[in-house]
Amino acid sequence: MSSGNTGIQQIHDVGAKALGWLYEHREGFRLEADPSPEAGMLDRFKPLGELALIGKVIFREGVAGSQQSALAHKLLDHAWHELLDSGARLLEGQRREPLSPVPLEVYVPFRELGYRQPDLESAIRLNHRLASWAALEVLPVRRLGLSAIERRFGVEPSVPETAALAHTWLARRPEPWTVEGHIGYDITHTVFHLTDWGEKPADLPVDIAEYLELWLPAWLDDWLDLKRWDLLGELLVVDACLPSPTLDAAAWQGFAQAQQPDGAMPVVGDMPEGDEESVFDLVYHPTLVAAFASALAMSRALSDLSAPATAPA
Amino acid sequence: MDQTHASSPLAGAVHDLATEVVLALRSGDHLATVCGAAGIDEENRTGIAAARVIGADLLLPSVLYGRHPHPGDVAVLDRAVREFPPKPDAPAATAWSHWHMISTLQRMAQPPGTTGTTGTASPGTYEEPDAAWLEQAPWQSFTHQLSVLAPLAVPAAPSAVQRAAAARAVDLARGFVRAVRRRDWLQAAGAGRWLAAIGGEPATLGLERGLDFVELMGGHDPRVTLHVRAARLMAEARAR
Repeated sequence: MSSGNTGIQQIHDVGAKALGWLYEHREGFRLEADPSPEAGMLDRFKPLGELALIGKVIFREGVAGSQQSALAHKLLDHAWHELLDSGARLLEGQRREPLSPVPLEVYVPFRELGYRQPDLESAIRLNHRLASWAALEVLPVRRLGLSAIERRFGVEPSVPETAALAHTWLARRPEPWTVEGHIGYDITHTVFHLTDWGEKPADLPVDIAEYLELWLPAWLDDWLDLKRWDLLGELLVVDACLPSPTLDAAAWQGFAQAQQPDGAMPVVGDMPEGDEESVFDLVYHPTLVAAFASALAMSRALSDLSAPATAPA
Repeated sequence: MDQTHASSPLAGAVHDLATEVVLALRSGDHLATVCGAAGIDEENRTGIAAARVIGADLLLPSVLYGRHPHPGDVAVLDRAVREFPPKPDAPAATAWSHWHMISTLQRMAQPPGTTGTTGTASPGTYEEPDAAWLEQAPWQSFTHQLSVLAPLAVPAAPSAVQRAAAARAVDLARGFVRAVRRRDWLQAAGAGRWLAAIGGEPATLGLERGLDFVELMGGHDPRVTLHVRAARLMAEARAR
């Protein structure tokens, strides 16, 4: 348990410890050498996609400290070259499931950092021309994510982002007392897609930002009370995307206290038990989220300190 | 009276009294006697204690419909005020509830000599307690305390508590969300009643549907229904 530190120092330490754990356990982001056809080989790409999206933000934000920025870069380098075989594994996945959007989603953040796989890009561009690609039946929040990732890749979104947004839960700004776990993740991911995973907090539409400013405090309180650290961490990311982040002291305090001495963050309650691989599969996500929330909160806190009178860029 | 859900004679009497207040709110019948229907009179010790729990809401149907209260209800409330004065070190919420019972009696009781009531004199004055502690409270405990003081959420009964509530409608709305999420229907109903009384809640709260939801989920407790019905009557009056 961490204790003693409060405020900015505490937020910084959560991120530094989480990133240290992720780097230490980087082999956990493994792909199966020979996955069974039933398992769906692209399942194991999900952690890598999240690592890429979040690692890129931590690397770019820099404010977390040059050491963390360097560590994030080393993690991404490892993921691209060692785990993805410089993109060859993404191409292989695309060949196996030609219409899957997963390789694109994993590839884009790497591409934005300068890693390239030209053959994969050809496959993506062909996919993008298919009516079937635009017609893929996915949840509204995932559709918004696909539109955003198409834009980031440099092609026209198959469904315009504003149209995709309109179908999400958050865009309708429903009764805040109906929010439970699944809706909570729909909310956080809608915000991630709208802000390019926190890179552009100003892209959050005004009505949605106002809605979140009203009700996020109640949700933070709720998921802190339930000790649901994974969702709490994502909600702290949302807070850091608001025009005026609250950096909710109670939520950060509880979040920091839930973190293990080695930096791992449990999903809910206490740490799970099991062998190293199964524990990794359970805690990598909340730990990644902890690093993410910390980096964004630090960035917003420091930019507000340096420019208190201006709107966040 | 139905005491099947009651865990003690007092809880049973509270249940019965709240049920009768709800029935009177529903019917709007100005002849209704809450205590009489619940089988409680001034000599009923458990009933008087239950009246202290329900507090000034004993006269709520009269307050909201603008009618004279039944003398029997006035007598029981008056007795409750006398029998259960707050101790000097009582929690602030207890002092506020006591103060509100007295001020409600003073506002609502018929002028002396108009009817043959029990002949009680005024229970005297009781200084309005302090509310500064409420202004400082975090929104979570603010809502909890306000919910305990939900009987003060009535029209034309100004108090420092009501002013504190009016100044923090967003905090109360967050507290409503929190209470619903925790399935604390009584707290949610109390918070919703305050919002209906003071107005100014964010539109995205969906208060009207929220009150319906609270009643649907928690309406087996007549105290929940009491607050929800009071809230609806006040919201309707504000909309007119």
